Amino acid sequence: MAKKAKIAIVSLTSCEGCQFVLLDLGQRFFDFLKKVELLDFKLIEEEPFPKGKIDVAFIEGNPITKEDVSSLKQVRKKSKILVVLGNCAALGGIPEIKNYQNKEKTIRYIYKKIQGIENPEIKEVDNFVKVDFTIPGCPINGEEFLKFVLPLIKDKIPEIPQKPVCLECSYLGKKTCFLRRKEPCLGPISLAGCEAICPEGEFPCYGCRGILENVKPKGFLKTLEKMKSKEEIEENLELFGIKDSILELKNKQKTK
Amino acid sequence: MKISIPHIHKIEGDAGFWAEVTKEGKVEGLKIQSLLGLRQIEGILVGRKVEEAPVVISRICGICPVVHILNAISAFENALSIKVSPLTVSLRKLMLAFQMIQSHALHLFFMSFPDFFNIENDLDLLKKFPREAKAAMKVRDYALDITKIVGTRVVHPLTFKIGGFRKLPEKEKLQKLLKDSDSAIENALILGKTLKKISYPKFERKINFASLYSEKEYSFYQANLVKIKEEKVTIGDFYSNKMIEDLKTPPVKKVKFRGESYMLGAIARLKNNNSLLNPKAKEILEEFIKEQGIDKEKMFDNIFYNLFYQFVEVLHFIEETQKIIKEVSAMDLKENPKEIKIKKGTGLSAMEAPRGTLFDYVEIDEKGRVFSCNIITPSAQFLNNLEEDIKFYLPEIIKMSEKERIRKIRSLVRVYDPCISCATH
Repeated sequence: MAKKAKIAIVSLTSCEGCQFVLLDLGQRFFDFLKKVELLDFKLIEEEPFPKGKIDVAFIEGNPITKEDVSSLKQVRKKSKILVVLGNCAALGGIPEIKNYQNKEKTIRYIYKKIQGIENPEIKEVDNFVKVDFTIPGCPINGEEFLKFVLPLIKDKIPEIPQKPVCLECSYLGKKTCFLRRKEPCLGPISLAGCEAICPEGEFPCYGCRGILENVKPKGFLKTLEKMKSKEEIEENLELFGIKDSILELKNKQKTK
Repeated sequence: MKISIPHIHKIEGDAGFWAEVTKEGKVEGLKIQSLLGLRQIEGILVGRKVEEAPVVISRICGICPVVHILNAISAFENALSIKVSPLTVSLRKLMLAFQMIQSHALHLFFMSFPDFFNIENDLDLLKKFPREAKAAMKVRDYALDITKIVGTRVVHPLTFKIGGFRKLPEKEKLQKLLKDSDSAIENALILGKTLKKISYPKFERKINFASLYSEKEYSFYQANLVKIKEEKVTIGDFYSNKMIEDLKTPPVKKVKFRGESYMLGAIARLKNNNSLLNPKAKEILEEFIKEQGIDKEKMFDNIFYNLFYQFVEVLHFIEETQKIIKEVSAMDLKENPKEIKIKKGTGLSAMEAPRGTLFDYVEIDEKGRVFSCNIITPSAQFLNNLEEDIKFYLPEIIKMSEKERIRKIRSLVRVYDPCISCATH
């Protein structure tokens, strides 16, 4: 029998929701763990961090503290494949909203004296280390994790089809579609794979899984601006850290 | 002697422990320190639309997002003078009951219980206690099903909004839940049988307890009073005048009550409200006291019993879900959320989270933007008490081997069920 892949699930500053998605899989998650050698997963063990190599490391959360950054770099050094788990690690998440505000001011709503409190600009994990694969979403989709992890532990990088959330949405083509109701929804430009769970809960898509690589967001955003003010649309893009990705995409398309 | 635990595993978030014991036996520099970065959730919210605030606040914590959303929504509703329907209240209570079951079941079995058997990895736990593990997962599955049906998604549920629900659950699905609830109770009892027999460490210290209080029910979803020591104070008075946040210990604002530490969560709620427990929960609590030979006067002096008291609540809240589902089944599951009329205002709300009383205070400006907000989590309130308990416990364990001593400290920390993500938001 082939040797079991060594995996580690490592958390930086976060709500840990993506890790709870894994634990919420219950028996199915523990069955998956039988296929691998689990080197680190702080929520269910307390053995010291292993010294040797890691085959696949999963990183959740934002690198905010110096220790976050240094443990991230250490894990990268030890790992063959590094996967980011969820919106915070992949796109900056909710904490990134701070970047669009005056960050000296934002922190002062919490602490008047800010000396000694780490308050860096929020940057995605791939600004610090090379990322081999992203399991997107806020939180991740547990079913998708179980699907992608199988090739990953066999040293293969899976691919997520570049399809919009609308294709998975039960509202597609119906009167209930948010856009038909003149409510901003980012479904058409956002990456599918979530089974359109937000619209399923009567909640429009905010693009937490990221923007499709092959869309031109400019025209679409103009359409949204007919429904709500430009300011409000911009705020929608800030919620899950996609405002900067859209800007990047627009710039790329301009230079082409 | 220096004692250090750089990272305490099996708690939510990341924290370390440090202390020094002098030759004379004096304990110095004892602290539990959060190792998380400050995400500045309250600062981020300033200037943003109130309608989206619950989405942001949910992300404070992945284990208890339900109570964070519910309490924030309730604070905003107070600020906007919105009164929600009885159906909305019942469904919110159902979700909060779920929140307790799923968080407690995970914590008590997978994080704290293994400490009583020196098991360091849950994969070993599954091998040594397969029957209990299966039962714990089944109990959690029941709670997770409730959230899927009412909230569509478990981690960061979707259907809540200020004024009501975006979408209401289907009656048939709730009926099916009711059928499943009996087996959830059976599974809980399998777990209870083992938890009842654990040999709990000796520990005896009188501490202060705080929780919401009401004469009508085992308080969890909103209440006007906080009971602390034997005093009953309004939540407004408690929030504004009695609880003091320490701004000198970033990134966590640790809280004291008139300069004193206090404990919250299951043990505190049981202390203040146990006469209002549901029948099966009450019965198992009695059995526990009897079989362990506990002096009733001292049943809240041993903090390690918090593990069992969480279990009592698991049972209580499964019974509560049965009551609520029956109640909801008699209602017409059709209604629209209350309309939000923007106005300037302030709102305060308190609810019981799994780890204790959560306070949300919000101010809204005339444009419907958050003007300011303050969220005080249970873990930020009990960290001082945890430090005092460890200080009290140290002489008892000081002669043990280093490995054993650290094990004991970790088990005491974990029985508190601290959530460092909540405390450091």
